[in-house]
Amino acid sequence: MADEQKPGGEAAGEPAKPSPPKPAAAAPKPPATMAATPWENDLARELKERFGDRIGETSTYLGQNFIVAKPEAAVPILEYLKLEADFDYLVDITAVDWPKRPERFDLVYIVYSFPRNERVRIKTRISDGYKPETAVGVHLTANWLEREVFDMFGIEFAGHPDMRRILMPEDWQGYPLRKDYSIIQQDQRWVQENLGIESGQ
Amino acid sequence: MKAASDASMPDSTFLDSTELVLNMGPQHPSTHGVLRVILKLDGEKILGTDCVIGYLHRGVEKIAENRTWAQFNPYVDRMDYVAAVSNGLGYCLAVEKLLNIEAPPRAQVVRVILTELNRVASHLVWLGTHALDIGAITPVFYCFREREEALNIFEKYCGARLTTHAFRIGGLQYETYEGFEQDVKAFCDMFPPKVDEYEALLTGNRIWKGRLTNVGVLTADECKEYGVTGPLLRAAGVKWDLRKAQPYSGYEKYDFEIPIRQNGDTFDRYMVRMQEMRQSVRIIRQAVENIPEGPIMGKVAKVIKPPVGEAYVSIEAPKGELGYYVVSDGSTQPYRVRVRPPSFVNLQALDRMVRGALVADICAVIGTLDIVLGEVDR
Amino acid sequence: MSAGKLFRKIFLVDLFQGLAVTFGYQKPKYIVTEQYPAERPKVAERYRGAPRLNNNPENGETLCIACNLCALACPETLIVVGSERNEQTRRKELTTFTYDLSRCMFCGLCEDACPVDALELTQDFELASYTREGLIWDRQMLEEGPRPTQYKC
Repeated sequence: MADEQKPGGEAAGEPAKPSPPKPAAAAPKPPATMAATPWENDLARELKERFGDRIGETSTYLGQNFIVAKPEAAVPILEYLKLEADFDYLVDITAVDWPKRPERFDLVYIVYSFPRNERVRIKTRISDGYKPETAVGVHLTANWLEREVFDMFGIEFAGHPDMRRILMPEDWQGYPLRKDYSIIQQDQRWVQENLGIESGQ
Repeated sequence: MKAASDASMPDSTFLDSTELVLNMGPQHPSTHGVLRVILKLDGEKILGTDCVIGYLHRGVEKIAENRTWAQFNPYVDRMDYVAAVSNGLGYCLAVEKLLNIEAPPRAQVVRVILTELNRVASHLVWLGTHALDIGAITPVFYCFREREEALNIFEKYCGARLTTHAFRIGGLQYETYEGFEQDVKAFCDMFPPKVDEYEALLTGNRIWKGRLTNVGVLTADECKEYGVTGPLLRAAGVKWDLRKAQPYSGYEKYDFEIPIRQNGDTFDRYMVRMQEMRQSVRIIRQAVENIPEGPIMGKVAKVIKPPVGEAYVSIEAPKGELGYYVVSDGSTQPYRVRVRPPSFVNLQALDRMVRGALVADICAVIGTLDIVLGEVDR
Repeated sequence: MSAGKLFRKIFLVDLFQGLAVTFGYQKPKYIVTEQYPAERPKVAERYRGAPRLNNNPENGETLCIACNLCALACPETLIVVGSERNEQTRRKELTTFTYDLSRCMFCGLCEDACPVDALELTQDFELASYTREGLIWDRQMLEEGPRPTQYKC
């Protein structure tokens, strides 16, 4: 089981009964941050030994464990988890945009292990323009998932076999899920050329 | 004119005259939605495929950032529109996890009943359309006739048949209507003989077996590499179901089996889904026997403001592992809702499944993947 | 191949089993067709159809108290509630109520939010209109409620 901190050892996923919540770190002036508690486990210790200072923190929040790593360590961590720790299934790759931070994007990998029945999240912080390494070499699932992250956020993955847009049209300009892309914004030029109308709004 | 998508095709020049690039366009009766598949053929043999998706992209994740937590609930049904109740369950469970609350027991049992009815309804659509693609025209009428009964129960419960918006964050909005238990029990009694009928029509049929065995084989290792979940994984021999591995909403109380098969071909997936329908009826029967009394809504504030944090919650939707990664920044609107769609990830495996097969098998394989483009594109 | 299997193979037994199911359903006396529009289907009581503003049955006045909760609950923000303050009773009174049906997704959040059951989604599903403006209902159309056309066949 992943978290030995919470009593009653639920599986990382759904609580059978609510775990005692920690109150959110409510500092009145700076913005509140996530009330995560440190994650003490064999897996966390092994990762810290192996990767040293490339791992920032290992924490758990609401029974879900995550580690914050440096961007260049993401794929080596995935590889280590797959080969040595049985985390053979990549669940998801996604990104979150925090425009006020200098390192704007939070790239999140979620992996799951069938034998252990637990999930781990690996979060890395990357800035606009940084090209992280692709995870396709480790998990084939990453192919379309990374294409979607590129399409929606503009994060290009170095070494990806087929880095092009997947959901938006091929020649769309702009990255829709960024926070500075308004919800009624559109690529005016594409709409006029391809649909023949002034605007889709 | 070289198509931009040729970049992913296997090595071959465009001028090679034995190869044909055929477009199975977004408007096609067998692609279950607006899916475009560009096939590279050598006569009838498929050398490679390239899926072009995004024709139904509605920007659901962007909409989530502009609505409040409760207002986003109706949008979630519209992704996998065939199994809308499961989508709603996943989202409500994710937000409840962030709020660190749980729905009361009565709400949990009713949620299980509706979700399993929804699983049956979704598999009926799959069976009808899959058989129709292969060429068996009769089962689709029978499947939709049974689906009508399930949709009538949804309509009487929450007011809509397809985009149900059945659950709310923290529990349920509507109390069960008078006659809910009778209707559900009548459905459970009516349904298993119908599954026997579908099996009589299809399972022993030599044409069905001939078209489905050894088509679209995906072994267990390939499934894990491609991240494929759901009935495809179970047909390949991996006994894994999120309802048993990481139970949610009270599933640990029910006694049901996980059907698995060994070969991982299309016929095995058909058998797995038929068995899943039977197991769903078993769960519904157990659940409707004793629905506990009590409140249907947990203690949720009028205005939902989860504390700063994030959570990833996934459920076993009829199509696979449906996951919601919700990030909250403490305000009334979600900061980021990421939906991990099972159909999107399963569709990646299409290329591996049809290499070397014949053109007629493409329809069978797309049918067996059970994709819904609303979920693939969101 | 054993004799049984050979028999089943040559005489198409599995195909006839399927045909037996299909022919078992041929019952000309059992008709399921609904003669729409002469008979309308009975939808459920909780069906989320066209909206209606309810009036108080005794004095015919509107039940709406212009609290604007429905407009705040709507995901598409398509309800516009106009009100003015009545100086005598010191309460808000409803003047205009606009509901844009073209963007409504019939989710029922407005109906759930209304504290006095003034806004209700009825069982009317025949909402077609020839113009886009015809789908933007004002207070009078909302209070009249559904008016399905009667057909004689």
